[in-house]
Amino acid sequence: MLSKREWAWGYLLIAPMALGLAVFYLWPIAQTLYLSFTESGVFGGYTWVGTANFAELLGDEEMLGALGNTLLYAVLVLAGVPLSIVVAALLNVPGLRGLSVYRTLYFLPVVTMPAAVGLTWRYLFNGDFGAINHLLGKVGIDGPYWVGDPDFAIYAIAIVGVWSTIGYNAVLFLAGLQGIPRPYYEAASIDGAGRLRQFFRITLPLLTPTTFFVIVITMINALQVFDLVFLMIDLKSPALSGSRTIVYLFFEKGFVQNQRGLAAAIAVLLLGLILVLTAIQFRLQKKWVHYE
Amino acid sequence: MSRRPRTWPAHVLLTAGALVMVAPFAWQVVVSLQTLPESLRVPPKFTPSWQWSNFADVFRTVPLARQFLNTVVVTTAVTAGQLLLCSLAAYAFARLRFPGRGAVFMLFLAVLMVPAELFIIPRYEIMQGLGWLNTLQALIAPGVFGAFGTFLLRQFFLTLPKELDEAARLDGANPLQIYWHIMLPLVRPGLLALGLLTVMWSWSSLLWPLVVNTDPEMMTLSAGLASLRGQFQTNFPILFAGSVVASLPVIALFVVLQRHLIAGIAFTGSKG
Amino acid sequence: MRIRLPLAGLLALAVLAAGCGSSAEPAADGKVTISYAIWDKNDQAGAEKIIAAFQQANPKVTVKLEITPWEQYWTKLQTAASGGTAPDVFWMNSLNVRMYAKGGVIAPFDDAKAAGLPEAVVDGYRHDGKLYGLPHNVSIPALWYDKKIFDAAGVDYPTAGWTWDDVKAAAKKLTDPAKKQFGILAPMWDQGGFYNTMIQAGGHVLSPDGKKSGFDHPASIQGLEFWTGLIQDKLAPVAEIYTDTDPLQLFQSGKYGMYYGGVWFASTYWANPEIRERIDVAPLPKGPAREAVILLGLANAVSAKSEHPAESAAFAEFVSSEQAQKILSDSGGGALSVRPGTQDGWFKAFPSWKLKETYDASMPHGVPYPATLNTAQWQDVQNKLLAEAWSGKRPVAEVAREIAAQMNEILAKE
Repeated sequence: MLSKREWAWGYLLIAPMALGLAVFYLWPIAQTLYLSFTESGVFGGYTWVGTANFAELLGDEEMLGALGNTLLYAVLVLAGVPLSIVVAALLNVPGLRGLSVYRTLYFLPVVTMPAAVGLTWRYLFNGDFGAINHLLGKVGIDGPYWVGDPDFAIYAIAIVGVWSTIGYNAVLFLAGLQGIPRPYYEAASIDGAGRLRQFFRITLPLLTPTTFFVIVITMINALQVFDLVFLMIDLKSPALSGSRTIVYLFFEKGFVQNQRGLAAAIAVLLLGLILVLTAIQFRLQKKWVHYE
Repeated sequence: MSRRPRTWPAHVLLTAGALVMVAPFAWQVVVSLQTLPESLRVPPKFTPSWQWSNFADVFRTVPLARQFLNTVVVTTAVTAGQLLLCSLAAYAFARLRFPGRGAVFMLFLAVLMVPAELFIIPRYEIMQGLGWLNTLQALIAPGVFGAFGTFLLRQFFLTLPKELDEAARLDGANPLQIYWHIMLPLVRPGLLALGLLTVMWSWSSLLWPLVVNTDPEMMTLSAGLASLRGQFQTNFPILFAGSVVASLPVIALFVVLQRHLIAGIAFTGSKG
Repeated sequence: MRIRLPLAGLLALAVLAAGCGSSAEPAADGKVTISYAIWDKNDQAGAEKIIAAFQQANPKVTVKLEITPWEQYWTKLQTAASGGTAPDVFWMNSLNVRMYAKGGVIAPFDDAKAAGLPEAVVDGYRHDGKLYGLPHNVSIPALWYDKKIFDAAGVDYPTAGWTWDDVKAAAKKLTDPAKKQFGILAPMWDQGGFYNTMIQAGGHVLSPDGKKSGFDHPASIQGLEFWTGLIQDKLAPVAEIYTDTDPLQLFQSGKYGMYYGGVWFASTYWANPEIRERIDVAPLPKGPAREAVILLGLANAVSAKSEHPAESAAFAEFVSSEQAQKILSDSGGGALSVRPGTQDGWFKAFPSWKLKETYDASMPHGVPYPATLNTAQWQDVQNKLLAEAWSGKRPVAEVAREIAAQMNEILAKE
């Protein structure tokens, strides 16, 4: 007797959200797919151009450059993931006091708006007045023009990218660490394994499900990086060739040069890239992730 | 426990790391209180000169107070909307049975996989069509809907014992009453986590506000900072005064409620 | 528009939608409101005074000022123009005017309306023989110098008679590597920098008919090498520094002797009391072939879709009139009025500097800022490739020839 009424309630309660998702998510996806096959006029209107946008992008120096920069950024940010594991392991040391203070401090960059973070680091990286080159100078290194030189800009941005996600990832890893049963360690202790050995033998393998989750999330976020780059590198900067990311190019084409069709094609390519790389990750996980 | 492990090496390492985390913020505050020539000094000057006029300048040259208010309004509305709509849908997905539930939920999850850039151009045209460019509702409307929040809260609803609904139903309560009076109070940790995450994202989000609201009076702080950058190029004292004002509220909120936010984030990890 | 906390998501949306009113209002009593869009906040005070004067003379017309920062201005304008809702009168520059004219977005003016305005500026707003903008200000590149550095090195201040050689000789004496002090700044900048020197050397950016690039002309290359030479000789800091810190601000740090900037920097520099008495300004030095100064003026354009074309055109005309131009000067903002004889108020706002001398010496040698239909497109090529020459990665001549080749391709399609 409850089933019919329960159906109605079910539909009623999901209706607002479903409607909103249809209007602001599903319809836009379809529309973007369509637009990626069109060219937009300077003052409005779209004309069907088939696959011309994709052909243009795949041979375009800027797009290929952006693809390369984005992938390099993603690799660099992923290389920073072990740092979060170390931080989480330290926070997990038994008997450590002040855990919540440390957690707050490490989390500060995560809760600060990326626009403000980008501006701060842009100043720290300044070739002449920046604190980073000043500190490097103290140890005899003549620091580069980090954000002015296309050869260094993406590294500078990646350093900020790592810095601003360490806290977030460490929290995830800490939760993972706390899920590892104590008896494993006690047994290892009895066998005479030192703490470092326990870390590599027990902690890392049992942490792999969390590690996998963090890697996938970090990668997806890295492939969509925009805020930091936009605040650290001006639209007219010569360093843009070495630091323009895919989403930056999307913004440039779509909302600076008003080439919406081309921008839609960039977004579609980004979707493809994310799907392919995520699928590869899921394929590879079988080889290294230990599920209990 | 056989022996008490030493914790000082961990403290040394963690403190060093914490310095790296905090130093940029401290430095930002210092420079926001310097004059422009001081900020360009070699070697850098590491002390403030209490140049409070930078804060006055930034409020005078951009409608920062207005942008602050915009951000508060948008963030509040988006968060309230998300909490309500996500919890409604999540409750239905977790506790009610109806045909097509699985399929619709998969569709929600699929949306979660798609990068936000795919939504922007069509949403922009929707807003243009509605005449909503340069309005706050353009920022609020897409923000109140979210597949992530639905997914997150569904996990919380799933953990509640089945007997709760049954008992309430026997008392003659309808699903909406059960949702409101019984279920919602029990998923408060989830609501808090989602609320905090939404506040954080909404407060900081840049690309959509940048695109849709080009009138400084209608911008949020994030986009306002970006356009301040355009206006003041590399005048860092002024830019930093703006940054400090823009990022302080969320930092304060976080410091007060960090336990709940962190619990929420850890939860997303364990259920991922 | 008012926003309250939504009680229920969709209900709130409906409320919001209802609260968002439309701005189209019928003219009941013959009164007319026109909108005026500008991007420079520094010009707000001047623009408001000009509007007040116009409204006094035309009581039936109300002008609504809209300021949009430069970063968003063009995107917003283009979107509005696509929807047929462009402001009635709006600021235009010579880079974009042809695209808007060709797109039918802006309406032409009678050529006679520009009578008395400098031809080098007016010419930037002609497309297919018709005038599409009435200039209201002018940007004149000029040589700023730091007197303190000159005094310390015992070098005479720049004068109107200076040549390139004088610049280089002075830069050499002013440079002091030990103090990280350089004689001059050499940013990669067209309007105040290399466009001027390319023409001063006897070259050109565009052929007179606008169909061919002039970048491969030997004299043009010489004009570019003036700058890269300064960097190579270490008289100017390396290219990357200018991306890190805006040269406009670098110059204020007191470590650079000279800077090819513009007279319009006056209001920015005046705001910094530490440098007011330390710096001064002179006209751009002569090149080996001729004197030349790129003049770029902003203009007002009138929307072709304006519902009040007559009032809009009248307002645009008024902004360029002698009365309004004097108001602009007296407001002492960033912009210098374009109509000859109206600048005194502006010069007086910055009494420490030789702005009048610079103006008088520069105006006779004004050349228009080069622009075609797709200016932005070939400037993009120009900036990308020149960056390689500025950073010393490739020789200037090779880069210049590549720019010319790519530019000619773009120009051929126009």
